[in-house]
Amino acid sequence: MKKVIVLMCMLLLLTGCKVKEYKKSMFYMDTHIEVKLYDIPKDKSKKLLNEVDRIYSEYHKLTDRYNEYDDLVNIHYLNNTLKVNESIEISPKLSDIINYGIDAYNKTSGYVDIALGNAIDVWKKYREEGKSVPKTYELLNLNVDIKSISLKDNTFMKKKDIKLDLGSFVKGYVTEIVAKYLEDNGCEKYLINAGGNVKVGKSYKSSKFSVGLEEPFNTSKVYDTLLVENTSVVTSGSYQRYYEVDGVNYNHIINPKTLFPDNYTKSVTVVTKDSGYADVLSTYLFLLPIEDGIKLVNSLEDVEAIWYSDQIYYSENFNIYEQV
Amino acid sequence: MNKYDIKLIVIILFVVVFILFLTRKNNNYANVYYNNELVLKIDLNIDKEYSVEGYNGIVKIKVKDNKLKVIEETSKFHICSKMDYTNNGVIVCLPNKITINFSNNELDTIAG
Repeated sequence: MKKVIVLMCMLLLLTGCKVKEYKKSMFYMDTHIEVKLYDIPKDKSKKLLNEVDRIYSEYHKLTDRYNEYDDLVNIHYLNNTLKVNESIEISPKLSDIINYGIDAYNKTSGYVDIALGNAIDVWKKYREEGKSVPKTYELLNLNVDIKSISLKDNTFMKKKDIKLDLGSFVKGYVTEIVAKYLEDNGCEKYLINAGGNVKVGKSYKSSKFSVGLEEPFNTSKVYDTLLVENTSVVTSGSYQRYYEVDGVNYNHIINPKTLFPDNYTKSVTVVTKDSGYADVLSTYLFLLPIEDGIKLVNSLEDVEAIWYSDQIYYSENFNIYEQV
Repeated sequence: MNKYDIKLIVIILFVVVFILFLTRKNNNYANVYYNNELVLKIDLNIDKEYSVEGYNGIVKIKVKDNKLKVIEETSKFHICSKMDYTNNGVIVCLPNKITINFSNNELDTIAG
């Protein structure tokens, strides 16, 4: 009898045994960001979440194209205040992120390009009007050559009136910094969702994190569910920011080779450990024909991807993440 | 084990199931944020209409069949009111600085 009572009381207690979850929402880089921490003391969670907010805020200001801030040399400053052929010493953090962009350009054969700001501005203007498409000559004369910038030992210079835009990977890059900060400070179990860019640590439960993939153009539906841990899930898609002219989708991801958007797929989602790398790769894959993208992903280590197009396409081992 | 033990087990099991049911039910809600401040918590189990103050004016939200939809808002493109009823992911009404997320199902988060 006693054994039964003890056993049943333990079972009863278990129902109240829920992993502690602490979360914070913020809005930076034009993105709703939600950070959840699990299984750590309350005081510590408060400190960590405040620091996470500070990191996102700091990088938001550093990489902001549209606003300047007192005593801060940021992307807006380099684009609009710095004169052509004038050099300036920039902060190591800004230098690191621009160098990351230059590296991404070299590793993706120029498909991920931080020097596209002038072209992105033209497309943004047309997208907001929503009526027509830029003429080819409007785009061809723009300064979009990444070779017009030089960055050596934190000294930045532009040889032409170029505009930098780090939008193709900045969310993933900063999210990786945040994740590293959490891990270095003893928080292994976390979930970050930065506008659909997901980064997770160790799971807080016996099973892995379940991450739903939203269906392009019908985002209230989930078309696949992944089970993941200690990794990133990042999507590039034509349904996030776009407009249509004569039934053609003109989305926000501009192909540096043509200065026009592409429509090989409606979305591509990359699963790999590093969130910055995942962001770079998802942009790159979005601009490649699906067949070429699958070949590329299959040649890379610890990277898998899924394409949502006329049908769903997978890289070779994508099924290791899928919920059975 | 006698018949009293069995009765006790049944009673405790009933209590456990009841508590689990309550916990599940309470989790089925949506959070509405204005400028990152939580301004409204919506129970998705009750069909009802809500209004919150957005940056450009009132944003109306309707709950139906455990799902939610923004039915009225002042913005240029009406992106969030064009979305269908949902209980997944995040709804962002950017011009109104309104964000809605859900704490309701077995998914930990939505990527996209």
